[in-house]
Amino acid sequence: MNDLFHIITSATLYAAAIRLALPIFLAALGETFAERSGLVNVGLEGMMLMGAFGAVLGSDISGSAVIGVLVGLLFALFVAVIQGFVSINLGGDQIVCGIALNIGALGVTAFLVRAIWAGGNAPQVEGFSAFHFPILADAPFLGVAIFQQSVFVYVALLLALIGWWGLMRTSWGLRLRGCGEDPLACESFGIPVKRLRWQATLICGLCAGLGGVFLALGQLLTFSDGMSGGRGFIALAVVIVARWSPLLAIPSALLFGAVEAFALRVQSSSINVPPELLLALPYVATIVVYAIVVGRSNPPAALGRTYIRQ
Amino acid sequence: MALGLALIGTLAVGLVALLAAGLEPISTLQAIIDGAVGTPYAIRQSLTEAVPVTLAALGVAVAFRAGLFNLGGDGQIYMGALGAVGVSLLFPDLPPILLIAAALIVGTLGGLIWGGIAGVLRAKLRLSEIITTIMLNFIAFWIVSYLVNGPLKDPGGSGYPVTREIGVSAQLPVFGDLIPSGAVLMLLAAFAVWILLERTSTGIKIKGTGSSASASRFAGVSMARITILVMGLAGALAGLGGAVSLQGDQYKLGEFFTPGWGFTAVAVALIGRGTAIGTLVTGIAVGALRSGILSAQGTAEVPAAIAQILVAAAVLFVIVGNAEGAGQLVRRVWTRRTGLANE
Repeated sequence: MNDLFHIITSATLYAAAIRLALPIFLAALGETFAERSGLVNVGLEGMMLMGAFGAVLGSDISGSAVIGVLVGLLFALFVAVIQGFVSINLGGDQIVCGIALNIGALGVTAFLVRAIWAGGNAPQVEGFSAFHFPILADAPFLGVAIFQQSVFVYVALLLALIGWWGLMRTSWGLRLRGCGEDPLACESFGIPVKRLRWQATLICGLCAGLGGVFLALGQLLTFSDGMSGGRGFIALAVVIVARWSPLLAIPSALLFGAVEAFALRVQSSSINVPPELLLALPYVATIVVYAIVVGRSNPPAALGRTYIRQ
Repeated sequence: MALGLALIGTLAVGLVALLAAGLEPISTLQAIIDGAVGTPYAIRQSLTEAVPVTLAALGVAVAFRAGLFNLGGDGQIYMGALGAVGVSLLFPDLPPILLIAAALIVGTLGGLIWGGIAGVLRAKLRLSEIITTIMLNFIAFWIVSYLVNGPLKDPGGSGYPVTREIGVSAQLPVFGDLIPSGAVLMLLAAFAVWILLERTSTGIKIKGTGSSASASRFAGVSMARITILVMGLAGALAGLGGAVSLQGDQYKLGEFFTPGWGFTAVAVALIGRGTAIGTLVTGIAVGALRSGILSAQGTAEVPAAIAQILVAAAVLFVIVGNAEGAGQLVRRVWTRRTGLANE
């Protein structure tokens, strides 16, 4: 009991929760744009994986983490372009396309790891270290929990605000949301549905890719097969839990980050629980939280429907 | 024609992958084909490799026809293998026929429960099976990981997290040193799925639910019952696949029991367009391809991941071939080319 209390009150738990929530949040933010425009993008997992791989590749070759970010984003965009072309231009089934891209991303990254690095293992690469805010970083509790995070955390916060503003407070966002509710009506008002959906898809690819980049360069500093670990699918649940809002995606993602952080802290404490069962906890939590919230959700009306101008 | 284009496109992707790996395409392809069907042993290995994928894919196909995506094949395979290994190790003294049957049945039940959970969550709580089946995959993996690291760990296994090997009396026979009994089960399962989809009223309800949920509801079909039924059935088939692989091939359960068969099964069912025959043929082909690549890996260094890339590419080409917009695009290019502006 004492141990549990100690875990729950330690600042490092909250720091870890934020760190672990970050990739899920970024993917969910991207998915929010895609789904608001009427596209289900199940390929988040593949985008994250490609982002993570590209980041490690770029960082390894150039020795610069910044180049790693750029290469990672390019890799994720590549997945988004296929998703966009098949589902927007060709009118192919969005979900099937996303599933195929997830399988393809697993295969392509596993293949490239073995083709590029001797021994089939990605090396340790240059990543990003934590950014200490002057003065604030030394504050009790909050200093460790919030003000000693990776620079990605602050970028993500900024993206959430920009995303909310763009989606909910600009005419571009209104039109984009219109595409998700009734693309035919939008088209008849002269709104370019195709172009807006392409923009949403590319934003989705960039955000999910950045999530993967952070997994690689902010956490593991290397690549391993399937390292996205289902986070792309947890992000799909986060979008629903957050009711398709970029801002509500923050607390929703944090909830999942907190569960994972808690599981990791308990694992390294003296509390005697099998570690494997703790590692299953985030996935159980996803189903439970999703089940509690889903009854009240109200998705975009045209979500997932193929729309091809006749 | 669409199928031919998909095949050519997929082969082109494979060629690019081989060249990217720095391999000579012709001799590598020869090595893969030899490894897949070159000798009786190779054929047996190809069938062994095809069985779990195809069984799981048949389940994915049934769910797909009802408009549901079962991405939970891997979790269901783990649960099937867990059931089978549990029975095999607990009752080693049963007569072989009884033990084999009991292990297969309990394995199938394990998969059925795991798929059924996703079905119930979908039917009763409206949770997307795309999300829940993936979560259930990870939960199943960690449960198995816990068991093979703890209570079920082989004490004489030199530290590896695997169970003890099952006894000979629980192992599936191979007919004539060529046909694994799993392959016979696979054919029977494909036939049963064909009967279900094409010759029963339940099959009509399943397909009706998939093509128009609202029409089915008006016709008085219980969506909830169909959803739970197909997800349970999908899980059961994948679970059977896990049990068969355990009793006919691997003989023990470890953390890396399935090399992503569940996802490959999704691709196989989609390429087979959700039909029993299409799925069976695709499943055997993909099994042979995987087996061929695995055996060529010794001689030609072909990464197994190529198989995954190929099935993913094939699915993409099949979607494109079926897509309405793709037809439009082809027609537009064609009219521009031939100068016929009036469509």
